[in-house]
Amino acid sequence: MTIAPTRWRRSSRRRGRLLAQSALAVAAMASCAAASAAGTDAQREKAAPCIACHGDEGRSVLAEIPSLAGQPKQFITTQLVMFREGNRKNPVMNALAAPLSNAEISELGSYFAAQSAAPAAKPLAADAAGAGRGLVEKLGCVTCHGAELKGQQHIPRLAGQRPEYLRTQLLGFKAGTRFDMDGNMTAAAQPLTPADIETLATYLSALP
Amino acid sequence: MNRSISYGALVAGACLAGSALAQTPAAAPAPAPSWQQGRSADQSSSTLHPIAPILTGRPASELPTDKLKVPAGFKVEVYADGIPEARSLALGDKGTVFVSNRNLKDVYAITDQGGKRTVTKVLKGLNAPNGVAFKDGTLYVAERHRITAYDGIEDRLATPPEARVVIDNLDPQQQAGHFWKFLAMGPDGKLYYNVGAPGNIVMPAYYQATINRVDPKTGVTEVYASGVRNSVGFDWDPRTKELWFTNHARDWVSDDTPEDTLHRAARKGMNFGYPFCHQGDLLDPDFGKGRACGEFDAPAARLGAHIAPLGLRFYTGSMFPAEYRNGMFIAMHGSWNRTSKQGYNVMHASVGRDGKVTLKPFLEGFLQDAKADPPMWGRPVDVLVMKDGALLVSDDYNGIVYRVSYAK
Repeated sequence: MTIAPTRWRRSSRRRGRLLAQSALAVAAMASCAAASAAGTDAQREKAAPCIACHGDEGRSVLAEIPSLAGQPKQFITTQLVMFREGNRKNPVMNALAAPLSNAEISELGSYFAAQSAAPAAKPLAADAAGAGRGLVEKLGCVTCHGAELKGQQHIPRLAGQRPEYLRTQLLGFKAGTRFDMDGNMTAAAQPLTPADIETLATYLSALP
Repeated sequence: MNRSISYGALVAGACLAGSALAQTPAAAPAPAPSWQQGRSADQSSSTLHPIAPILTGRPASELPTDKLKVPAGFKVEVYADGIPEARSLALGDKGTVFVSNRNLKDVYAITDQGGKRTVTKVLKGLNAPNGVAFKDGTLYVAERHRITAYDGIEDRLATPPEARVVIDNLDPQQQAGHFWKFLAMGPDGKLYYNVGAPGNIVMPAYYQATINRVDPKTGVTEVYASGVRNSVGFDWDPRTKELWFTNHARDWVSDDTPEDTLHRAARKGMNFGYPFCHQGDLLDPDFGKGRACGEFDAPAARLGAHIAPLGLRFYTGSMFPAEYRNGMFIAMHGSWNRTSKQGYNVMHASVGRDGKVTLKPFLEGFLQDAKADPPMWGRPVDVLVMKDGALLVSDDYNGIVYRVSYAK
C-alpha cells in the first residue's frame, strides 16, 4: 500500500506542496503502514493523505499531531466540516479539507472511528495520576467526554491523545483563540493554570 | 442568586486588594456556555447536554425512515436529502423550496421537475442564516446580524443576485445564547424576526427576548412583542391575521417545569413574561421575586417541558381532511434538558371556539429511546405547506426534508 497515492498528489499541487513542506509528513511517510484491520480499500485510499501526518490508521506518533483512531465519528466529521468552512483555523487542515465533499468527510469519519485507539503513553506514577484524576473530577471533564474520557457524539476522545496536542488545544481554549462551536471548552479552560494544563495533558495521554 | 455571587466577589476583591496587591489578580471568570447558564450547583455534574447536528448530513437510505408514523390515510416520504443541517423552509412563487442553516453558512434550493428533485446550494458564506422568507419574487434571509433580500432569485438559482441589505447591525454585541433568527413575512408586508435572550435565564437588553418587525421598504424596525425568551417559529391565522408563535422556556428548573408555550399576539406591545414569569403561572426562581404572572400576557397553550417547539404554520391547503384546515402544525425539535426525553415529532394544534388548544401527534417515529443519548435518529425543525397541500418537514440532525401527503 502506498501512503500517498500519486493520483491524489497530482490532483492538488497546493496540498502536495503543503505536505511536502512539512517535515512531519516526511517523517510519517518514512514509517511503514501495517495492514489495516478495519475499513475498506477505498476508505484507506481516501485516508492516505491524513495518515501521512496522523499516523497509521490514525494513530499519531508525532508530537503536535492528534490521533484520530477511535475518535467518535461525529467528532471527526464535525471538525473536518469546520476546517473546510474555515471556522477552525489551521493552514494545512483548511487546505486539505477544502475540496472534501460531505460524503467523503463522512467516509473518513467512519474509517478513523473504526480503528483501535493509539496505545496510551506509559503509565504515570501514582501521585501524577492522582493529581490528574483529581483535576478531571474537579473540572467535570467526564460530563461531556464520557466516564472513561473516550468521547461521545461530537465530543472528542481524550484518553491516549498526544500530550503536546492536548496542551496546545487547552492553551488555545484558554486564550480564546481555538475554535469552539458552543463555548464549552473556552469557558472550561479559563480557570486552568499552566501547571493544570500540563497535569491534564500528561494524565489524559496516559489513559488507555 | 446572581446578586449574592457578585456581592461575594466584590468583598473577596476588596480583601485581596488590601492584602495581596503584589499578586496578579485572577482573570475574571469566563461566562459559562449559554446552555449551562442558570444551572444550580447541585446540577453541575448533570450529563444533560444539547444535541449537536451531524454537519455532513446523512443519506436517507441509511436511516430508519420506515419507522415514521402518520395518521391513517396519510403518507410520509423523503422529499430530499443532502441538505446538511436543514432548518427553516420557505416556498418560492415558482415552487422552489428554500432551506436554511444555523451552524453552517448556506441556503439551499430544492427544485422539482416532474417529480425529479434537484438540491442546489444557492447562497454561501452567510453568518448563521437560520431565517428564510419569500414574497413577490424576493427571498429574504435572516442572518445573525442582518436581514438581506435576493430579488428574482428563482429565475437565476445558478447565478443568484447580490444580497440587498434590508437591515443591518441586528447583533451589535455578538450576543451569547440565542443569536439565530426566524423570519416570516407578515400580512402587513413587514418582515417579522426574533431576537432571542442572550442566555438561558438573564435580564435581556430592551431589544432582546423580543419579536420585531421591519418594513422592508424603509428599514424601520419596531418591537412587536416582548418577554419572549426565544421564538423560532411563527405564522398568522389566515382568518384573523393574528400572530401565533412558539416559545422556548428556560432550562435547569426541573424535568417538568417550565413548559414551552404557544402564544397568540393579538396586537403589538404584548409582554409574555420572560425572564420574570414562565408558562403563564410560574414565577422565575431568580427573577420572579416581587413580580406577579398577572402582569404579563398568558400563553395560549402549554406544549410540554423542554419539548422545544420550533416551526409553526397554519394549514391552508386543501389536500388534508377538513379538520386540519386552519389548525397549526408545530415541529417539536425535542428535549435535551430533561432526564426522559420527549418531543421529536410534529403536532397538530387546533383552536376551539373557547380558545382552548387541542394537540394531536401528526408525524412521529424519530424518538427511539427516551433514556438514550442521543434518544432519536432525527429532529423536526420547520414545517411548510406546499401549493398542492402536502406538508414538508425539515430535519436538521440529518439534513433531510420529508413530505407528508394525504390520499382518500
